[in-house]
Amino acid sequence: MEYVKQQIEELKGYCSKVSALTEGNDTYLHLEKLRLPDGCEPRECDALLRPFGGSDGYPSRLYFSVQIRSSYTRNWNISNARICEKNWFAFSWMVNRPLPTLAQILVAHLTGFTKEK
Amino acid sequence: MQLGARGAGGPAIKTKGTENHVAGEGQNSMTSTEIDIFEFSQRGEEVPHAPAYRVRIDGEVFRIDTPTPKGELLLGKVGKRPCAFELIEEFVHGKNDVVEQEEEVDLRKRGLKGFITAHKEIVTIFINGDPYKIERGNRTVAEILGKVNETPEGYVLLEEKGGQPPMPLPPDRPVKIHGCEVFHTQPQSGGSS
Repeated sequence: MEYVKQQIEELKGYCSKVSALTEGNDTYLHLEKLRLPDGCEPRECDALLRPFGGSDGYPSRLYFSVQIRSSYTRNWNISNARICEKNWFAFSWMVNRPLPTLAQILVAHLTGFTKEK
Repeated sequence: MQLGARGAGGPAIKTKGTENHVAGEGQNSMTSTEIDIFEFSQRGEEVPHAPAYRVRIDGEVFRIDTPTPKGELLLGKVGKRPCAFELIEEFVHGKNDVVEQEEEVDLRKRGLKGFITAHKEIVTIFINGDPYKIERGNRTVAEILGKVNETPEGYVLLEEKGGQPPMPLPPDRPVKIHGCEVFHTQPQSGGSS
């Protein structure tokens, strides 16, 4: 799977480095030192964006290298999932409206830290 | 040119403080260096043409290379922008006038001693690239989204600050508005599952 270069460039604003990681036929986007919204602890961490649907039923998913503390309690239903030879955490957050860009998908997931439900 | 001296057969030159004014006929004589408009205002004298002017803004002195700078340029000298601050002309007899950002100021105006700045009460913010007026202070996300006819139920408000990309703001917390903030909106698309 190839991503539009311009969209990758846009993602770079949110983190220190973007790289593609492949597992099977799927290409994930590795976001190093992703900045997290105000109120999160830590304020940044590595993340893995899966901008496509998976067998878990989520149309897209954002995984974090650590479990994040935020203002709202989240259901961290993925813990130490092994993807692309790293362990990842994710909370249950469904981004169900089609969004045109990778950055918008990322922001939709980050919104999970800033709203109650 | 040798300043502060009388050249043989040349024009009379007088030195007043920091400025050097070539004394000519009428008011269109040109000084050879920058002149301090504050000093002229204190003496009640007409400010002559000069290559540059020394202008006080909020008590700091700046060199201005034109006699008719725009308000925005002067505000920029003290690192302020018209979306949050206004520029005010100060005259010797206590009269003050607000200068609009696109307005040209005549630095040679008699009695003009300098400028001060003041934080606006109604400031400008930018949402999806367009400017909107809003009262300074704590505002709700709903108020800000309302400027573009959107609601927190349908849209996420993102703020771009410190050169960082837009990040979502909590819809239930006040947003401190100082002026010049940059916001974006994005359709709500996520929820806990």
